[in-house]
Amino acid sequence: MTDLTFLALATVTVASAILALEARDLVYGAAALGITFLGMAGLFFLLDASYVGAFQIAVYIGAVVVLILFTVMLVGPQLGEPPLELRRLSLLTALLVALLLGTAGSLTSAAAFPGPDNCGGGCDLTRLGTTLINQYGVPLEFLSLVLAAAVIGALTLAKADRKG
Amino acid sequence: MEPLTSFFAVSVVLLGIGIYGLTTKRNALRILFSIELIYNAANLNIIAFARLRDPPIVTGQVLVLFTIALAAMEASVGLAIIMLVSRLNVDIDLRKLNRLKG
Repeated sequence: MTDLTFLALATVTVASAILALEARDLVYGAAALGITFLGMAGLFFLLDASYVGAFQIAVYIGAVVVLILFTVMLVGPQLGEPPLELRRLSLLTALLVALLLGTAGSLTSAAAFPGPDNCGGGCDLTRLGTTLINQYGVPLEFLSLVLAAAVIGALTLAKADRKG
Repeated sequence: MEPLTSFFAVSVVLLGIGIYGLTTKRNALRILFSIELIYNAANLNIIAFARLRDPPIVTGQVLVLFTIALAAMEASVGLAIIMLVSRLNVDIDLRKLNRLKG
């Protein structure tokens, strides 16, 4: 059962990731990227990390994809991808990626990481919340500071009434 | 339960797609897409490894929460830069953006 779910999620994720980079229209690309993020959230749910999956949906679908869509609309239609004159670079990249995939595939075997069957009592959110607050409270506060700095920086950069 | 190796495989495939996009695309937005894909591959890898023990290792999930927040910040600043560039200079082709070259 979970096997079929996993297969469907993995297929959708990988296919929409390819589509996000190869779609001619950037708006379709951004939508495909959103589907990739959704599939990734589904994979997180399969791995019993439900809070992380919900966070992924909230942050990526709710914020990042919407931001990207707005930027695509504001930047305007690009004149399509110019014809690629880097055939050699493209070929080299394909070779490198194939090498990476092959190495990773040959190094791991299915028996090495069997994955536990059930998730006893360890999968509840209490542990995650306690650890997040008790152990990582200070980094969390610093994260909010960095977030504020990033928002202020982005606003300053994108301010409309800039001269020159 | 699916063996964790399949999740690693998905992660590696996404990393490969991201590297492909980083090296061959010229549009700044596509390169941002590739960076996000690579972030997601790393997150999936961390979550899968955190699931290796029977009670999942909570630290891995906390780490991924931080990573997602940092990726969102990076995307916001990057998109602001892209908007600025597109206002100054019509094209956002990164291979033509060599105004700082001496």
